[in-house]
Amino acid sequence: MSAANLPEAVRREIEAFLYLEARLADESQYDAWEKLVTDDMHYWVPKGTADYDPNERLSYINDNRARLATRIRQLMTGVRHAQTPPSPMRRIVSNIEVLAADDVAGTYTVASNFVLYELAVQSGATLRIWPGRVTHRLRRVEGELRMSQKIVELVTASVAQPNLAFLI
Amino acid sequence: MDKRYAALIQDDRVHGSLYTDAAVFADEMDRIFRRGWVFIGHDSEIPRPGDWVTRQVGLEPVIMVRDRTDAIHVLANRCAHRGNRLCWREAGHGNGFQCIYHGWTFALDGSLRAVSHKAGFERDRADMPLDRAAQVDRYRGFVFANMSGDAGTLHDHLGAGGRDLIDRLCDLSPTGNIRLSAGWIGHRVESNWKMWPESDSDGYHLDFVHASMLRAQPDNYYHDTVIGGEQANVSRAVDHGGGHVELDLRPSYARELAWLGVGRDRVSAYCEAMVARYGQERAERLLWDGPPHGFIFPNLFLGEVNVARIDPIDVGAMVHAHTVIQLEGVDDALNRRLLRQSEAALGPASFIVPDDAIIAERMQLGFQGLRPPSNGDARGGWIDLSRGRSREQREPDGKRVGHISDEVTNRAFWQHYRQVMESRA
Repeated sequence: MSAANLPEAVRREIEAFLYLEARLADESQYDAWEKLVTDDMHYWVPKGTADYDPNERLSYINDNRARLATRIRQLMTGVRHAQTPPSPMRRIVSNIEVLAADDVAGTYTVASNFVLYELAVQSGATLRIWPGRVTHRLRRVEGELRMSQKIVELVTASVAQPNLAFLI
Repeated sequence: MDKRYAALIQDDRVHGSLYTDAAVFADEMDRIFRRGWVFIGHDSEIPRPGDWVTRQVGLEPVIMVRDRTDAIHVLANRCAHRGNRLCWREAGHGNGFQCIYHGWTFALDGSLRAVSHKAGFERDRADMPLDRAAQVDRYRGFVFANMSGDAGTLHDHLGAGGRDLIDRLCDLSPTGNIRLSAGWIGHRVESNWKMWPESDSDGYHLDFVHASMLRAQPDNYYHDTVIGGEQANVSRAVDHGGGHVELDLRPSYARELAWLGVGRDRVSAYCEAMVARYGQERAERLLWDGPPHGFIFPNLFLGEVNVARIDPIDVGAMVHAHTVIQLEGVDDALNRRLLRQSEAALGPASFIVPDDAIIAERMQLGFQGLRPPSNGDARGGWIDLSRGRSREQREPDGKRVGHISDEVTNRAFWQHYRQVMESRA
């Protein structure tokens, strides 16, 4: 099964996963969001486009599963000042394209665009706009879609970023 | 001698308007950033002749470039003709620089090489080089520049204390050389730049500002070195003179390699290479002590394995840009470990600095509306920096030291700042 002749039901399921993942992140539901990831999750926000080796150059975020668990553990302490209180956020997810699909293995590579609006209430209450492109790698685990990789390429990634202490 | 600053900077307190007054900021860009030594970058960022990176000195855009003689220049990123910006990427390589406005070309040392349609050119080419830093010098690869040329030597600017901080970082490499090859991550903060020399060298705030990091990372070495109660903790706050300061964590590391978060068995090849280079005794000392946590006036932070520079934007905004050291003469796995360690500590999505950024931004908001006391505002607005003043001690070599939680470092920054702001008026 290739991306071109993906059954409509699977396409709908993938879209629903992306929307759920976006909403849980928007609402800082860290526990529920973490349940969407696989044990080998890789969460990468590169500096610039995702065309370099993150073992040779720094990234904004380059979390393996353990590092991501630490990130979420920190957010859930209640004293992560950079997200206390959590930023009100909403993101629009669009332009969803299934780039690769292996329905037998249950793995899918999905790209989408997003615009995230964040009110940085922790300090100056400025509205921050985070546009970018996400590439998800999804995998079916016991029948349910989970993500094994999320790469977030920010439009603004080449320039200095303000606090990015939420789940993007 | 500018007397205004004496009223704003006292031995144990400074006035909040120093962070919000645009006139103060303008003075700083001239007296500190143009007429003093500032950190630009590292020569490993431009290893080949023709390599360049773009930076800023104060607000002025510059190019740090290596020429064919391996000399490093810090050139204004501005065509000598009409001022068009020459380089607009972060880094590049070439035989020289061409302005796309009228096609003038400049050599790697900034000299004007050619002018288009030269019949109408009415000047001497030798008189039209790019503006440049009058002084550029290096210490163990760290490149510093002074735009005006009247700041004395880099050796004197760094002093024994500043040189020692850089030495202790570079000596962690079994070749004595580090590379800054991992790129820079910029963290934009809506605060005055001076909050960062203060915050980066403040040993008093960890348990509060970084409580979430400490809880999420129970094995972090800051538990031993900066936390643990006022009586128990033997780390020190140090004033090296010249505005250079340090949080000396060495006395309280509980074991060797704590700063790296591993035991010797995981990095045995590295440890052997260190012994081969430095001998058993010195290598063991280096591996225990680890990299320094210090700030070199006015814009260079050495934060253990991280190197950060402070780029001011305006009186209420700045960028904290950092990279990580990569050690020469070690295997890739160790350098990857340093990368991962850096991503956890510094940058807008890290576990530490975003919480400092929130404090800096809230302080900046808190200082809004303050006017200097000389303008008739006697309500206050002072920042108290008196902590531990009566228990700090002066060592035989002139260093002042105090408890890790004492404001020795902050007082040292401000006293040097005041001296510079007064004397370079």
